[in-house]
Amino acid sequence: MFSNNPVLSRELLVNLRSTRAFVMQGLYASFLAALVYFSWPGGDPEWGGAVRQVSPGVARLLFNLFFLGQFFLVALVAPTFAAGAITGEKERKTYEMLLASPLKPLTILVGKLLSSLSFLVILIVSSLPLMILCFLLGGILLSEIVRAYLILILAAGTFGLLSLACSSFFRRTSSALVVSYLVILPIALLCVAVTRNDDSMTRDFVSIAVLPPWCLAIWTLVVVVVNRRLLRPPDVGSEGNEVIDEAEEMKSAIGVVIDRDLFPDKLFAPAKRTDLMPDGTNPVLDKELRSEIFSQGTLMLRVVIQVSMFISIFLMAVLLFWRPDWAGYYVAYVITFNLLVGPVFSAGSITQERERKTLGLLLTTLLRPGTIIRAKLLAALRVSTVLTFLLTEQLLLAYVLVPNLQTRFWTLPVYLLIIATTCLATTTTGLMCSALSRKTSVAIVTTYLVLFALFVGPVGLKLYMRDFVESVSESKLSAMTISSPYAAALSIVIPPDKSSMVGTYAAANTPPVRFPGGFAIPVWGMFLMFYPLLSGVFYIIAYVAFRYRWWRAGGTS
Amino acid sequence: MIEVSRFTKRYGEFTAVDDLSFSIGPGEVFGFIGPNGAGKSTTIRFLATLLRPTSGEAWIAGHSVVGDPMAVRKVIGFMPDDFGVYDGMKVWEFLDFFAVAYEIPVKHRRKIIDEVLELLDLAHKREDYVNGLSKGMKQRLCLAKTLVHDPPVLILDEPASGLDPRARLEMKALLNELRGMGKTILVSSHILSELADFCTSIGVIERGKLLAAGTIQEIQRQLRSHRVLKVKVGDASTARARAVLEDDPGIRSVDAFDHTLTAEFEGQDEDMGRLLVRLIDSGVAVQSFAEETISLEEVFMLITKGIVN
Ligand SMILES: Nc1ncnc2c1ncn2[C@@H]1O[C@H](COP(=O)(O)OP(=O)(O)O)[C@@H](O)[C@H]1O
Ligand SMILES: [Mg+2]
Repeated sequence: MFSNNPVLSRELLVNLRSTRAFVMQGLYASFLAALVYFSWPGGDPEWGGAVRQVSPGVARLLFNLFFLGQFFLVALVAPTFAAGAITGEKERKTYEMLLASPLKPLTILVGKLLSSLSFLVILIVSSLPLMILCFLLGGILLSEIVRAYLILILAAGTFGLLSLACSSFFRRTSSALVVSYLVILPIALLCVAVTRNDDSMTRDFVSIAVLPPWCLAIWTLVVVVVNRRLLRPPDVGSEGNEVIDEAEEMKSAIGVVIDRDLFPDKLFAPAKRTDLMPDGTNPVLDKELRSEIFSQGTLMLRVVIQVSMFISIFLMAVLLFWRPDWAGYYVAYVITFNLLVGPVFSAGSITQERERKTLGLLLTTLLRPGTIIRAKLLAALRVSTVLTFLLTEQLLLAYVLVPNLQTRFWTLPVYLLIIATTCLATTTTGLMCSALSRKTSVAIVTTYLVLFALFVGPVGLKLYMRDFVESVSESKLSAMTISSPYAAALSIVIPPDKSSMVGTYAAANTPPVRFPGGFAIPVWGMFLMFYPLLSGVFYIIAYVAFRYRWWRAGGTS
Repeated sequence: MIEVSRFTKRYGEFTAVDDLSFSIGPGEVFGFIGPNGAGKSTTIRFLATLLRPTSGEAWIAGHSVVGDPMAVRKVIGFMPDDFGVYDGMKVWEFLDFFAVAYEIPVKHRRKIIDEVLELLDLAHKREDYVNGLSKGMKQRLCLAKTLVHDPPVLILDEPASGLDPRARLEMKALLNELRGMGKTILVSSHILSELADFCTSIGVIERGKLLAAGTIQEIQRQLRSHRVLKVKVGDASTARARAVLEDDPGIRSVDAFDHTLTAEFEGQDEDMGRLLVRLIDSGVAVQSFAEETISLEEVFMLITKGIVN
């Protein structure tokens, strides 16, 4: 199954031979090296100012940083490879050939899993020397390093398998990817919360006695389910196209049912037309909203809505009712949801026309490029915004019920604006990447990378610089993070109602960005001004890229 | 109606289409023939305004393909060789979508969609999802799509490829019907016999080069320096017929076999008519009198052998 696995050897050959893999790996290794170089105790005086004491504290800080960074890397990268492993075969129409071959489903599964994780494992292993360096600084036990790698490998396996399971259930890589992320998100957060716990007894207990068996249980379950799915695939119609009848599907749906005639579902999925479009309709917009949204079935949307609602209820209890001063973190969750889900609706909007070979039909009509691209933007923006705002219901509820939030009612519109702006940002980024890429899978991963760099990168950099670079002013640090909705949401201060917590409140305070004229704008203000501009630029890039192809159009074949 | 002038397309070093020129008159059905990879789709996509030429120009109904693609799009109906359909759409929605995209007002749209569905025999599939249709029906649906704005020119890239023999025949019948409606049609195929019966003119392309183009008669005339007449006569008239034929200034040589005379002839159609009158006047019992045509198949073989170039 392992040594003589044709699926594995073919995929390894293709994956690892690509120059992209080498480039990514090189970049990652140099990034890690730079990180260590600059934070090495007693490092460059230009950066660190005074020579720092070699302290176990620094080593631990570095170690934790490494571990967390790698953990997030695993959570982010594992699905990008694994979620496309089986949907990719479906999209390339090689799925049936694979199923009809005498290969055992388990062989396919193992081949797909190992090949999609191989790259990740190489990345993880390439960080080993740096971890050893931290070890040499002292203050860290060897067992901790071993445990860290054990957790990373377990996480990679679990996340990879979960993504593979999604991949076997969906038809498009984008759907599989977003559902994988949504399923992984709570698990990852839970793991981080546990391993951040300072009590080493609980940590040891959890990481040795709890995590491995749970992971094994999940693995077994997933393998059984996927195995069955591969053995008895649902009927595929002609040319591997399942024709999905909404009404039929609704009957067998579990949990949430989407009803196009009811509020709020009709906001993102208006009812299908029963008659011709009226004059002056933008046909592309009409098609996107009424036909395409459920063309792959409602499964993806139903899972997305249910999982996100489920998580939000727990978060609401903790972040809005128990500690209303943490409301910003609830908003951060909503932002994360949009970050994960938003790109799915926009990043495929142009590449999919090309992949399904409908672009040629579309481009020989009298539609102008502006009409097409505007329709794509509006459709994606509408779906992503409505789905995201479903989660703000809890926020509204909290502002009605919690006194501490009531007195700060003006923060609600600011939060909502931040969320809306985030929706705009994710959609325009996705649209731009879609207009610039040839394949949906590339467009989606690029979108995630760009958004990650914009949203999370600055915050990470700020935290890092605050700990390791001493001569930077707080205002400069704030200025760095204006592209991050997380920073924007957390820069809004809601004082805790219990006076005992005032200390933490002061520490969390983000100073505003100061300008030479002497005036200052809070980070959220900068954020709200920055994104409409950036989104405009992204939209124009998307338009120009599309128009260039529209005229040259060589890209349709 | 369609005029292509020195169209060349290169992909890097590779020349996909090399210096192609031909023209198609109104109402003609032009068969574009060539093996796979010859450059048919490249040329067709250029005409459909989907491809920038490396050099060269083309005009459709007087509009420049390079300079005024919007005007060209209005007058052509284009069917790509490899196309997809949208998911989650019903047949009528699909046609409605394209009708709106061609800016047809709603009051005409209903009638047009019904007519087109009727013409393509898809009326009973009106409420079906398009991605559930069979390949042949999808081809017909796409043809229906090209007709919604009633374009005078149809550009069809391998409309019969991948169809079973029966669907192929139906497609042929459809194209004949469209020809009867007076449309100018450019249709490509890598199979000659598909086009043989209803094309008025053909172009043969191989490895990016146009080997021959024109009406079928023109090409036949290019292939032979003279025409060949076959005359069948009654029992007693063979000798007399031979004498009359040999007398004619246009006749080069005459062969007789049994009661059939084969004559090499140079001249116009009128000369041929006069010759027949003379035969009858001199009392020859003419049973049949015809120009021997070579089949398209033979033409194709001759052309690709490089006889005409
Ligand atoms: N985008 C492209 N890049 C490079 N070569 C191409 C491209 N498109 C077509 N070709 C080449 O041009 C030639 C002509 O292709 P095509 O016009 O599709 O042939 P066909 O006559 O079968 O329709 C082929 O050899 C093909 O490989
Ligand atoms: Mg072709």
